[in-house]
Amino acid sequence: MISKRMIKYISVKILVYLVTLFAAFSVVFFFLRLIPGDPVSRFIRQIEQRYSIQLAQVTREIIAEYKRKFGLEGDILTQYISYLRRVFLEFDLGPSFLNFPNPVQDLIAWRLPWSIGLLGVATLISWIIGIIAGTLVGWKRGSKVDSIVFGISLCMSQIPFYLLALFLVMFLAYIFAIFPSRWAFSPTVTPGFNLAFISSLIYHATLPSLSLILISSFGWLISTRSITITTLGEDYLLFAQAKGLRKFRILNRYILRNILLPQTTGLAMSLGFIVNGFYLVEWIFSYPGVGTLLVQAINALDYNTVQGVILTSIFTVLTANLIIDLVYPLIDPRVRSE
Amino acid sequence: MTRQKSFIQKIKGGSPLLIKGTLTFRVGFFTLLFLTILAVLEPYINNHLLKGHSSTEFGLFPKLLPPSFEHPLGTDHFGRDIFSLQLTGLKYSLIIGLLAGGIATLIAVIIATASGYLGGKVDRILNAMTNSVLVIPTLPIILAIAAYVRMNLLMMSFTLAAFSWPWPTRVIRAQILSLKERPYVDLAKVSGLNSFEIMFFEILPNLMPFIGVGFANAIIGAMIAETGLRLIGLGPGDIPSLGLLLFWSMGFGAIAQGYYQMVLAPAAFLISIFISLNLINVGLEEIFNPRLKKVTGL
Repeated sequence: MISKRMIKYISVKILVYLVTLFAAFSVVFFFLRLIPGDPVSRFIRQIEQRYSIQLAQVTREIIAEYKRKFGLEGDILTQYISYLRRVFLEFDLGPSFLNFPNPVQDLIAWRLPWSIGLLGVATLISWIIGIIAGTLVGWKRGSKVDSIVFGISLCMSQIPFYLLALFLVMFLAYIFAIFPSRWAFSPTVTPGFNLAFISSLIYHATLPSLSLILISSFGWLISTRSITITTLGEDYLLFAQAKGLRKFRILNRYILRNILLPQTTGLAMSLGFIVNGFYLVEWIFSYPGVGTLLVQAINALDYNTVQGVILTSIFTVLTANLIIDLVYPLIDPRVRSE
Repeated sequence: MTRQKSFIQKIKGGSPLLIKGTLTFRVGFFTLLFLTILAVLEPYINNHLLKGHSSTEFGLFPKLLPPSFEHPLGTDHFGRDIFSLQLTGLKYSLIIGLLAGGIATLIAVIIATASGYLGGKVDRILNAMTNSVLVIPTLPIILAIAAYVRMNLLMMSFTLAAFSWPWPTRVIRAQILSLKERPYVDLAKVSGLNSFEIMFFEILPNLMPFIGVGFANAIIGAMIAETGLRLIGLGPGDIPSLGLLLFWSMGFGAIAQGYYQMVLAPAAFLISIFISLNLINVGLEEIFNPRLKKVTGL
């Protein structure tokens, strides 16, 4: 059933995952602590400046209490250990400023499904479109269609998502008011499993996901096309054609298999980059996801929420990577074999 | 020396302005050249247009003028000439991109040479580190730093570089690994060159085009992050890059109020920078990786 090689493969992947996660969380902790001043004092200072008041000595004691609550007591090593304990063992990201005293993990938990849903669907759609289109264009290499599509792809593939999002908002939400410009569903529908809500959901998700799909697909197209052309030059493909196999069978069994492997790894590698761009798209559309929360938290100097979003993003992307790694043997027989 | 010459010969034909290369490379190169010239000439053009005033100065002209002969893109809600602002923005965006991209490429060359030459455990650890930074979503971290730390131009470039070195590192490392196995490196070893000499005189000249590819990659990565953080109003307010212009326009509500050119202009400049860099990138690979030429087919 499961070979020794598979067990080794899986355990190595999980070990690497845990080590990377731990390392990333530690680096983030020390990176954020390098910033001069502590978040509570900074927040208080900001309030003092904004409302031009001086907080009395009594409140200083309260501040000390807050610092304890925020895990800012003692030297940096004590803080680090209490941070690790809270994050890894208690899944506690601390209280938020934005929505005090609600803990950050509650804020994020409500928003994470929105982000993962939109991002996941949009990424998968662009990946699939890119692979199908790339294979076809690569198959017709050297033709007029190929050079036109390839030229367009070269231009489109490196544009940041948020710039296209701005264009889409301008043209499709304002100049031609076809799509809504903000939020995830219309205020008139009741959230739940009904047709009105779901169609409103898709309607509102169209522009944000389009800004990702229209760019990402071209990126996948370029890499798929080059793999297809390399594969087409292989001897076994010539043999398959000489055998008189039908085109569809060649595409499906000989080429697509060779494309899926590197492109699956590619998908895992590019997730972080996609998330980076996607957060700002969310903010442009005021989509109720983690990206919008991040910008709100940064504008409010809400330290715990910012840190929470960073950790959640890293955790989510690394976990998605692990899942892709674990699914990988299903499509690559070499990893499975004894 | 001879190899370096051949590298230059490959890019340039006889006359210095007649860039050979592929169509991809030429289009990208000339677009970027044009934008760079605009940015370099910015002080003179703006000096002429604004008669010695700075393009960011408030109330120089009436507010919200429509596009006209004197103001090709009109004026904004602070009475600034939008066209002059674009030129200033272009200049700063390119400066930050080049600085951050340059620092990132330098880091990448150091890590990639260490990784490629020392090999073994060092290579594995450095490679794992590079891949981790590549996989992790770094924008939230950059935003957090920009929100809490007072930034100037140099500080900003270093912060951006600290997160955009993995792209060039991967490109350069892969090339070093491949160059290391070439016969002429063996020949150099046999003829008694030490590893330092091999690295500098045999491998580095052949690495140049790929350092170029890495540089273009790093600039793209740094500029995407820079524009992203300026878009939400972070970073030094006295350095108006194109991203900050977008933030000002969005804060004013330019789209909702119909002043589309305030958003379109910086976005169009940014998009042309990104496209030209990518074309240069792909073009360089086409020229120096002949196996790819067949692949890209342009």
